Amino acid sequence: LPFAAGLVIPLWFPFATAFSDANRHFSAGSKSTSVLFGGYDVAMRGKFWNRENSKRKNGYSGPVIREARILALADKDDPDNIDLYNGELPEGARLLGVGTRVSDFYIGTFDEPNVLFVSSATAREPLLELLKKFPTICWIHSRSAGVDFLISDFLASSEALLTNAKGMFSSTLAEYSMMACSYFAKDLPRLMRQKDVTAWQKYNVLELRGATFGIVGYGDIGRACAKLAKAYDMRVVALRRHPVKSMSDPYCDKVVGVNQLNELMAESDYILVAAPLTEATRGMIGTTQLSAAKEGAVIINVGRGPVVDEEALTAALAPTGKLKGAALDVTAVEPLPQHSLIWEMENVLLSPHSMDRTATFMRESTIFFIEENLPRFMRGTELYNPVDKVA
Amino acid sequence: GRRPPPPLLLSRPLSDVTGPQFWNREDSPHGRYSHMKRGDVVREAVIVALANPEERANTALFAGPLPPGATYLGAGTSLADFDVQELNEVQQPNVLFMCPSCPNAAEMLPAMLAAVPSLEWVHARSAGIDFVSSPELAQSDKKVVLTNAKGQFSSTLAEYTMMACSYFAKDLPRLMRQKRARNWEKYDVEELRGKTMGIVGYGDIGRACAKLADVYGMRIVALRRNPHLCAGDPLCDAVYGADKDSLNRLMAESDYVVCSAPSTVETKGMVDAAAFAAAKRGLVFINLGRGPVVDEDALIAALGEGRLRGAALDVFTTEPLPTGSALWDLDNVLLSPHNMDQTSTFMHEATEFFVNENLPRYILGETLLNPVDKVLGY
Repeated sequence: LPFAAGLVIPLWFPFATAFSDANRHFSAGSKSTSVLFGGYDVAMRGKFWNRENSKRKNGYSGPVIREARILALADKDDPDNIDLYNGELPEGARLLGVGTRVSDFYIGTFDEPNVLFVSSATAREPLLELLKKFPTICWIHSRSAGVDFLISDFLASSEALLTNAKGMFSSTLAEYSMMACSYFAKDLPRLMRQKDVTAWQKYNVLELRGATFGIVGYGDIGRACAKLAKAYDMRVVALRRHPVKSMSDPYCDKVVGVNQLNELMAESDYILVAAPLTEATRGMIGTTQLSAAKEGAVIINVGRGPVVDEEALTAALAPTGKLKGAALDVTAVEPLPQHSLIWEMENVLLSPHSMDRTATFMRESTIFFIEENLPRFMRGTELYNPVDKVA
Repeated sequence: GRRPPPPLLLSRPLSDVTGPQFWNREDSPHGRYSHMKRGDVVREAVIVALANPEERANTALFAGPLPPGATYLGAGTSLADFDVQELNEVQQPNVLFMCPSCPNAAEMLPAMLAAVPSLEWVHARSAGIDFVSSPELAQSDKKVVLTNAKGQFSSTLAEYTMMACSYFAKDLPRLMRQKRARNWEKYDVEELRGKTMGIVGYGDIGRACAKLADVYGMRIVALRRNPHLCAGDPLCDAVYGADKDSLNRLMAESDYVVCSAPSTVETKGMVDAAAFAAAKRGLVFINLGRGPVVDEDALIAALGEGRLRGAALDVFTTEPLPTGSALWDLDNVLLSPHNMDQTSTFMHEATEFFVNENLPRYILGETLLNPVDKVLGY
């Protein structure tokens, strides 16, 4: 039998043992952020890490069964990786080299690196070369949540397991998302205009309470937003590829599939785009979807710029368009080109892809690699945050 | 003959400010009295209003329909608008509906109560009753019960509070400056998660803020006159009494302070220079209660010298805020014209609360909701 080989169960075995975790009630340090997971992922393929809710340094035990020999495709001067470069790695783990190009690594195949830690933005090509040069690499961990910057056909077809930083940034982005909703509900731009001209002029504000919050791409970020939206007493409509996985999610009033996107657009007062960028999601919010939107709807994009057709978006944001406004932390091209119309649009809250960027977020992500996934790798325990390389 | 009407029930001991006798728009049941019948009436309600008779927000009262047993006589903004003799000899109104739209309300109310002794229940349409508080009212006939609109506006203000916190945490002013200058420059943002929110005046609004801050993962410190009333409140990590030392301690521990205390004789100028001096450096101060609770000059000084990171102010000592106030020009102030609870329906809903919830209770001889202590002033 091909799967019953020795002590090491291939880590990418799809229907792993985490099913029993599906109903676990997490209670993290904070009194309030215990999360009900009942039915969250009916057939979870692996465990997913959430910075707020997952218990630290647990879930792995047993002897170290293999060494971790690590290559870091990263900037050697990056202070956020300090715990990897200078810190104490767990027993059995060694850092073999750091660099952003293959020529930076002074090692040979006899060193048999098996782990690749990636934080370099220009990783796509060097990653391919390293995989070809070192066939012993069986695990790649990305320090960021988005992996579109390193995906390629070769990577997708290789046998190496890919994990990422899913769940590291979600709560910060959720805070931003609610702020973006309130920004338009309380008409913050009007407050600022009035203050500029010393005008004391009362006007009506809107409540988020009772409004509908639609989430396109209900992953970890979407869920963190849903948790807050529910606390505000909003109605939550979530869209994901496999709606059945969220059928009994207590944060969702309605769960829909991708073919019901227009329905979500028509029902939502605030639309959060939190989908990753893949072939399937590129341009998924376009002219048709925007014209299905409610009059006065607000779009918030924290996923990836190209998920939204930017030309269609700017048209919808014009005075003749349907949207009241948009809050964009990501754009089709980053940095946003100087000639883009978006700079001038009054009803756009624009941020330079930094709304999850706390002083410590990347360092925390590196620490997550060292303290959570590395020990698991060395014990042959299932890793957190497996990425579907094909999707 | 007819049974004498039951005494007006005021179940709240004067020091108690939480409990089932208080209304909350989100949590309390609505519409329990929609099936009231004529035969249920225990006491007839005869209502006059001190309000602008044109005010559309009062339609539920002025135009009805009212519950069985209720009669509405009319509205005015001064005694002269009423035929007082006829009121006393014929209709003998027992209920007074009091609106902030009545000018000089603080004088009108005691005058009305003195002129029309049959009045025994005054309901204020707003939550704040400082607009009618006065020594005369405090000393007025003990039998007159005062209720208000506590719990009507809390969740909207809680939304504003979290927005105000995030406004500074994500440095929204910087985002806007950068956008105007077409500057794409990444910078670190702060999380609210793990930070401490101090709530000065832990009433209905304070609790609504705590409820949201809790889900954000913030630590909550509450300050109130009766800290023991928070025993068992899962939202509060610490509760302090309303003494100066406790206030200073709260200011030193908190990253964000929300002031939601009512304006009373005791709270006037409570957040003073000493409190700001004790503040953690970089504190964000949010006032959505009443301006006079804060020493505005001390606040301006603390903002100017950089002790506070910023302030979000929906209320001021004088409203409208005079154009000469330094607050208009401070970059780190988010300033709103006391409208952060002003939804298009909020005043209509407050009137509906009177008509649909408290008026039936009066007519049925049940305990009235939202009793106010005339002496304490809230």
